[in-house]
Amino acid sequence: MNFNTRGLEVMVAENDRAVLEMLQIRLDVAGFRTSMARTGRMALETLRNSRPSALVIELNLPEMNAFEVLEALNPRGEKMPFPTLVMSKHLAAEDIQRAIRLGARDCMAKPFSGADALERVARMLRKPAPSPVLAPLVSHRAAFI
Amino acid sequence: MGAPSRVEVELEASVAATFDVLAWEVELAGARCIQLDTIVGELLQTMPVEQRERLLEGMHTVDLLSQHLTSLSAFMRRMSEEAPAQATTPVTRALADITLGALADRMFTAFGGEETVIDNPTDSGDVDLF
Repeated sequence: MNFNTRGLEVMVAENDRAVLEMLQIRLDVAGFRTSMARTGRMALETLRNSRPSALVIELNLPEMNAFEVLEALNPRGEKMPFPTLVMSKHLAAEDIQRAIRLGARDCMAKPFSGADALERVARMLRKPAPSPVLAPLVSHRAAFI
Repeated sequence: MGAPSRVEVELEASVAATFDVLAWEVELAGARCIQLDTIVGELLQTMPVEQRERLLEGMHTVDLLSQHLTSLSAFMRRMSEEAPAQATTPVTRALADITLGALADRMFTAFGGEETVIDNPTDSGDVDLF
């Protein structure tokens, strides 16, 4: 991965311990600082007190799902304060549209490799947030799947 | 009375889910290899030149192992996608053969068993003989 990670922190919110640990190690080796949460509530509490450079969040977290976390962080549906990647095993087109509407930058279907996940995080941090006016949802769908 | 132990719970998983769980575990093992490779690479800089060749051999082996695991993980992900949805398999006895406590626990939970609270997460390398 050709990307300067110095000073960047990625928060991973994931209930599956193998996925969580794998992502933590891959991000750590790539030079990111990492923080972890196993539930939506835990993620939200952490995010209310700290601002990571990026958030990687599983859609179906216990206690609060990713939609609820995004809604709580971004109640007016404006731009999220940090780029967010929503991941899930079953990502329907409606899920992707809803995630984007709530401020997520990207969605990633499971399963994926650690290398793919790293690339998506780096891409998300490299690119500026798309304008909601200039980037209609349909073009996101094509890019995400 | 506490939660039933792993060996007391009969778990059955779809073949697709079994491949999926294995794919994540192998991907995690691959990530650990990459981590080890990085650490060995850092150590290499501190080693006297005459001792570096042996360490380089080790790094090459770890790199090969990492690629091996990455390929196996990709294979299992594909198998998970292609396995017939209705095919299931019991996993309890196979789980009982895993002697690494944290691994057995993660897989047990991934197959739908109740998660055990680990008091000390640093014990992840402990051998659990049950």
